[in-house]
Amino acid sequence: MTAAVHALNRVGIRPRLRRRELGLLIIVSVALTVGWISYVSFRDGRLELADTAILTTYLVALFVIHGLFVISGRRMDEILFPTAAMLAGISLLMMQRLPQDLVTQNVAGNELGLGQLQLFWIVLGFSLLTAIALLVRSDGWLRRYKYTWAAAGIFLLLLVFIFGDVTGGARLTLRIGPVSGQPSELLKVILVVFLAGYLAENRRALSESSTRVGPIRLPPLPYLLPMLAMLGIALAIVIIQSDLGAALLYFLVFLGLLYVATRRISYVVLGMGLFLLGSFVLYELVPRVQERIDIWLNPWADAQGAGYQIIRGLYAYGRGGILGTGIGAGLPQVGSIPSIPAIHTDFIFAGISEELGMLGALALLGLYLVIAERGFRIAAFAVDDFRSLLATGLTLVIVVQAAIIAGGNLRVVPLTGITLPLVSYGGSSLLVNGAVIGLLLALSDRGVEPPVPGVPRGVRQRLGRRARALGGRVESALS
Amino acid sequence: MDVFTLSLWALRLGFLALVYAFFFFVARALWRDLRAGVAGAGRPLARLVVMSSAESRPEAGTSIPLDAVNSIGRDVNNSIVIDDSFVSAEHALLTFRGRAWYVEDRGSTNGTWLNGQRIEGLWPLGFGDEIQIGQVRMRLDRPRTETPE
Amino acid sequence: MTENNSGFVPEQPDSRPLDATRSRLDPRRLRVHLRVRPRLDARGQTPHLSPVSANRPPRIAGSLLRLSIALALVYGTLGGGLLYWQVMQAHSLTTDAANPIVLAAARDAPRGTIYASNGDVLAENAAGNQRQRQYPYEVAAPVVGYNSTIFGTAGLEKSYDAQLTGLGSLNGADDLLRKFQALAYNPSDLHTSLDISLQESASELLGDQHGAVVAIEPATGRVLALVSSPTYDPNKVVDPRQGRSYVASLQSNTDSPLLNRATQGLYVPGSVFKIVTATAGLSSGSITPDTTYADQPGEIQTGFLVDGFRIHDFPRKVQTDHPLDFYEATEVSDNIWFAHAGLATGPMNLLQWASAYGFGQRIPFELPTSPSQVTDGGGSFGGFQDRVELANAAYGQAEVLVTPLQMALVAATIANHGLEMQPKLVDYLQASDGTVTQMPSKPLTQVCDASVASVIGQAMQQAVEGQYGKAFAGAAKVPGVPTAGKSGTAQLGGNAAPHSWFIGYAPADNPKIAIAVIVEGGGAGSQRAVPLAGQLMSEYLAENP
Repeated sequence: MTAAVHALNRVGIRPRLRRRELGLLIIVSVALTVGWISYVSFRDGRLELADTAILTTYLVALFVIHGLFVISGRRMDEILFPTAAMLAGISLLMMQRLPQDLVTQNVAGNELGLGQLQLFWIVLGFSLLTAIALLVRSDGWLRRYKYTWAAAGIFLLLLVFIFGDVTGGARLTLRIGPVSGQPSELLKVILVVFLAGYLAENRRALSESSTRVGPIRLPPLPYLLPMLAMLGIALAIVIIQSDLGAALLYFLVFLGLLYVATRRISYVVLGMGLFLLGSFVLYELVPRVQERIDIWLNPWADAQGAGYQIIRGLYAYGRGGILGTGIGAGLPQVGSIPSIPAIHTDFIFAGISEELGMLGALALLGLYLVIAERGFRIAAFAVDDFRSLLATGLTLVIVVQAAIIAGGNLRVVPLTGITLPLVSYGGSSLLVNGAVIGLLLALSDRGVEPPVPGVPRGVRQRLGRRARALGGRVESALS
Repeated sequence: MDVFTLSLWALRLGFLALVYAFFFFVARALWRDLRAGVAGAGRPLARLVVMSSAESRPEAGTSIPLDAVNSIGRDVNNSIVIDDSFVSAEHALLTFRGRAWYVEDRGSTNGTWLNGQRIEGLWPLGFGDEIQIGQVRMRLDRPRTETPE
Repeated sequence: MTENNSGFVPEQPDSRPLDATRSRLDPRRLRVHLRVRPRLDARGQTPHLSPVSANRPPRIAGSLLRLSIALALVYGTLGGGLLYWQVMQAHSLTTDAANPIVLAAARDAPRGTIYASNGDVLAENAAGNQRQRQYPYEVAAPVVGYNSTIFGTAGLEKSYDAQLTGLGSLNGADDLLRKFQALAYNPSDLHTSLDISLQESASELLGDQHGAVVAIEPATGRVLALVSSPTYDPNKVVDPRQGRSYVASLQSNTDSPLLNRATQGLYVPGSVFKIVTATAGLSSGSITPDTTYADQPGEIQTGFLVDGFRIHDFPRKVQTDHPLDFYEATEVSDNIWFAHAGLATGPMNLLQWASAYGFGQRIPFELPTSPSQVTDGGGSFGGFQDRVELANAAYGQAEVLVTPLQMALVAATIANHGLEMQPKLVDYLQASDGTVTQMPSKPLTQVCDASVASVIGQAMQQAVEGQYGKAFAGAAKVPGVPTAGKSGTAQLGGNAAPHSWFIGYAPADNPKIAIAVIVEGGGAGSQRAVPLAGQLMSEYLAENP
């Protein structure tokens, strides 16, 4: 052991114990195991711990990641990862409990069901999380090329727009060969990177100066315009694709970041005004928006049609009550038909509320608030504005998205289709949200050693320099 | 109410209880962080003391509190603005990176001087070291430990 | 800020000691840069700023705090949403007919049975088909209702749906604890107070005529019979083969068989309303049992002129040589005396005591009820239009509209010494696990003093048994048992035959049954309602001495 530590020390890595993280991960493991026993016992009618392959794989993955964090010695936040692990664990329990044939995929001759696929995506997402948390040591690649990133993101969306598959009335999925994904998930991160970069540079101007038109003081339009243009393009594309959830998310995250950067409540007021105006126009113009709002106001008007899903969701809340029915004991399906359409994606919150009850659902919301607290703390302690705003934006992306879909499920706001981060089934969502948590972890390490001045040597540096030069050219062309 | 049902419910409620136990430990950790944060929050990491300047702008003896990242220059978007003809718009960057302070010239016309030496690129410095930017000479000092304002 | 890893090798700081002169700017350099200055100036001049300032935009940490508060509010709202749906609305959502769990409950646990007071089955699951109900007694339809997979539920099947399916009990704590039991569903049987033979007799006696009968046990509020005629056959409603066409025919039927006349039919009460007027007058002290009106004997011939409107006695004039007191006026059902009494009582008192009986609100009951009314309201005379309306209302005409259930409660209240009991149909629930939940009797209102009730009761007994009263309501007399009652003939205007009314109770000294009977277009009270009520009370008392 000590020999290994010495070996690590020689290559410049000093392992650092993460006791808090370890303790929390142990609680997560025990909780998930207990939940798992309660599920299989109910399913089989006797007390037992069976079918543990999925659970074990997941728990082993958690501790391997923890081990990697320890060995790397980075001073990262110790609470974010266990919180994400708890969310994904609850997700895994639910996916295992739902009818396995909701989603199936043939991988190398094996027919994988919902639970196995979700495990696969979670492990993949967490691997991405780990890679980003450990390897991202500099944020220059994000900060410097914000316009490039933004252009790439919009290009990706345009691809979906042209080639995308339609699911659930919205054009969301891009399929390239066997790989398919939802770029609107990725775009949310890109948007945050762009906004953080832009606002960090211009926030003083945005918060102090203003454009005067006669006697009226307006926000400084020249500084706002690039941001608004970017947001406008992104919104236009997702709205035309009917991806209303993503549109709402982008807009709210934009407002949140703008406020944090400038602390001008007038922006928020103006933004909400524009939002209401925009919603009204969309209500008049886009039948889908109109339908969504009508269902929200009175789902019973079309209980067997458009309101079916949300009413079924409400029944689930009613059945759950305070303590819930217990995992496996809810009624997510009648016969082989799921009781709530899209229960594994958009309506997972309703499913969880039924089986874990109000207490369980409140706990789930609490987990997102923990992420919010950690994210904002990372933002508050970040060494500069860009990192601050980036951490804020990444945090907002997760917690606002969770609030949008939970609120839609609960009929607090109109329902828009979007995933519950880290819980809903779906590869793109899990990968992107894993990456977001990974970035937050990387940002939480304030003790990043400064880049050691030295002569660039070797292929890596040369390639790096060329890439930077290319990026710089693209960047200046775009800005 | 048989044994199986009871134990099943014990497990179900146990699961919920464990999720809340998780919250309890997280809350404890957050509380500790918060207290640690309150103890050290709001204090500047260091300060720059103006030693001399042209036309007494800024006056010698002026103390400028420092954050982790401080950009110095004549442009308004800098965190420390020096309105001096010999200062470039984006002149220098003074940063605290985990353990040490670094100063970095950002391609200024008249250069950034550390202890009388013109520097290029990133350069570490410690308390007591002198920086000259334009006609302003400043010393990096420990933050004031007197009563907080 | 960390991107500067492109790598310059800074010179090592030399070891020369700090030299104050060297740190000044070289004068040559200074000149050079004075030339360059204007170009630099154009970019970043900010004259209003102090030469050196720690000039920063708002601290991000401060904005974050505000953002966190906003976020906490958003999440708090979500928690509120959870509380609303999972606690406050949980019961109604869980028992919603369209909820798949209701279907599942029907599949997993047979729906509870509904029994009459003698143990006869009123509603049960069809043998061989758990999903379909059968109803052995068609006459119980207004009470029991139906439970159809197509048309939903009605009657007790509706109001006790949660208990019959076993999806909910009457208190929330039970629902919480029920989760710990092996049996997920715990359907209950309903044991009702309905006397099925009384119900059948009442229905038979009404025959083809439209009308309603409500019989109540005065001391407890237990409903013994609740008949509405015409009614429907619930077996045909729930029959999947003919349900649709049958319900369609019921809905298009102008006799409205689906309307529960006993609880929701609104009728002009006529003279039976005089009991309410008497309660208000005596309780408020506006009249006493000895009150007489000197003009009254004469007005029987000429009519009582109230503000230009002449009130006559219906249906039959009984000419007396002396002014009538309260007992006599009740016995002969003198409209003119009650018009006087009503005016003396005044609009406020009449409305106050009528509302104590339950007028103006839905009576709390297991079946849906319509509120009875004394006046349309909104008039300037204490709610009435004028004195004429009040005088007419005092003897049950004008805008007075009542449900038979309301009038049965009036009779039961007088019988129960002025204490009105809440009417109820279900005595107890027996769950499939054997748990019995009693449904206790609940007092509703102390409408009037026992002394007032006793005076009115005496007058009502006189109305049935007295020398003159016999002519009107004598047929209600239960042989060998002191009987109290009041007949009524509700004038509908035009040539329509009046509604025939009777309310009463027996035995007068120890009331066991209070009854309200209305026969639509049955003519004078004495013609149809009175004998019908008499026969029903006799039957009931014979079987329940």
